Amino acid sequence: MTALDQMIREIKDLTPMPAIASRLLEIVEKPDSSMNDIAQVIQYDPVMTIDILKICNSAYSGLKMPAESIKDAVNMLGTDQIVELALVKSSARVLSGRRKGYGLEHGDMWLYSVSSAVIAKQVAKRLGLNNKSTIFTAALIKDIGKIILEKYVSKDFKKIDTLVKKNDYSFREAEKKVLGIDHAEIGALIGKIWNFSPRMIKLIQHHHLRDESMVNDKEVAAVYLADCICMMMGIGVGADGLSYRFKDQLMKIHGISHSDITGLMAEFGVNMHEVKILLNMA
Amino acid sequence: MKQIVGVADMKVSNNPADDVITYSLGSCIGLVIYDPVARVGGILHYMLPESAIDKAKAAKKPFMFADTGIPRLFKTAYTMGAKKPRIRIFVAGGAEILDQKGFFNIGKRNYLALKKMFFKNNVMIDKQDVGGNINRTIRIEIASGDIFLKTSGSQEVKI
Repeated sequence: MTALDQMIREIKDLTPMPAIASRLLEIVEKPDSSMNDIAQVIQYDPVMTIDILKICNSAYSGLKMPAESIKDAVNMLGTDQIVELALVKSSARVLSGRRKGYGLEHGDMWLYSVSSAVIAKQVAKRLGLNNKSTIFTAALIKDIGKIILEKYVSKDFKKIDTLVKKNDYSFREAEKKVLGIDHAEIGALIGKIWNFSPRMIKLIQHHHLRDESMVNDKEVAAVYLADCICMMMGIGVGADGLSYRFKDQLMKIHGISHSDITGLMAEFGVNMHEVKILLNMA
Repeated sequence: MKQIVGVADMKVSNNPADDVITYSLGSCIGLVIYDPVARVGGILHYMLPESAIDKAKAAKKPFMFADTGIPRLFKTAYTMGAKKPRIRIFVAGGAEILDQKGFFNIGKRNYLALKKMFFKNNVMIDKQDVGGNINRTIRIEIASGDIFLKTSGSQEVKI
């Protein structure tokens, strides 16, 4: 059995994200989804419902009339926020564990995922993208491949680290060279096995812009840029550090200036309370 | 007690039982100051070089920027008995993603903003661990002034 076969077997053994997550992902991708569709999916999950109502009725919005149902919550907070809360909640179990191979302590990957999702929403807005929830979700789950690859990275960490430190490889390039596959590719494989949409799989696969021709795709660019900004700030970053490539042609193609980048970082700085609220969904 | 300094945050202490710590310094700078006589120390964790990009945000979060955060760090330490000539300084962070150039290199710009302010105010850095592509965590023990540095996936080391 090749290492890749072994990895695929491990993916199949993973407990997938809860069914509610895939249903929400489907809804997120349909532009004509209604508030009712979302409420229908969430209200049959009592734990999720309670958590969302709790957040809705607390510091999140300072509501005078408490929300008593998911429909109330959707009316009050809007569909985007409810979907985001529900997706964060349903991906917490998969993403919040310790990933020793990447030097990620318990909660680090979770913090990184949630922070980059919040930044991705800001980037999507800056790039004029309509479907912010898709970008939010892709940024949230883009590193899912690390769950499988960490064991292999751990075993060959020295080799990977040497390529990064001495031979000018990015961490992703070094993963590919040493292991034959990188965490973005494994993430896309997980997405395929878990029946994510082709669009979500594409966003996961290219979140480090491994294929530079993808730079023109606005959604790929948004997820990639959010990842770079989050990485720059170091929030929940592991032993791979900041060893990924910054493709500055993206700036020209999508009309982003350096002050846009610092502006996005400053905006995140004042919005960090939003990250705290989402982290508590775990 | 562990005093955690968040991103765009600052903590200063003169309690010998305190450890002041900040996690996750990527391109951000962690500025550590300590007066060994007054036993006052603190950390500023700033994200960006200049507050001019958004005055309103700087008013709300002054510790987000070098130019609004650094003076506050020193002034707070002075109110607790620290004196400028005795202050020891350690700087960490300012990392960069591979291939970041010019203006997009926030880590380098963060570090240069600090150097510029220090040069103007005749302040010297005692030790530093800046640049590269690594993520850093720094901690200072207020009782001893000992400073510790940790990079993700490695053990903590005393500076």
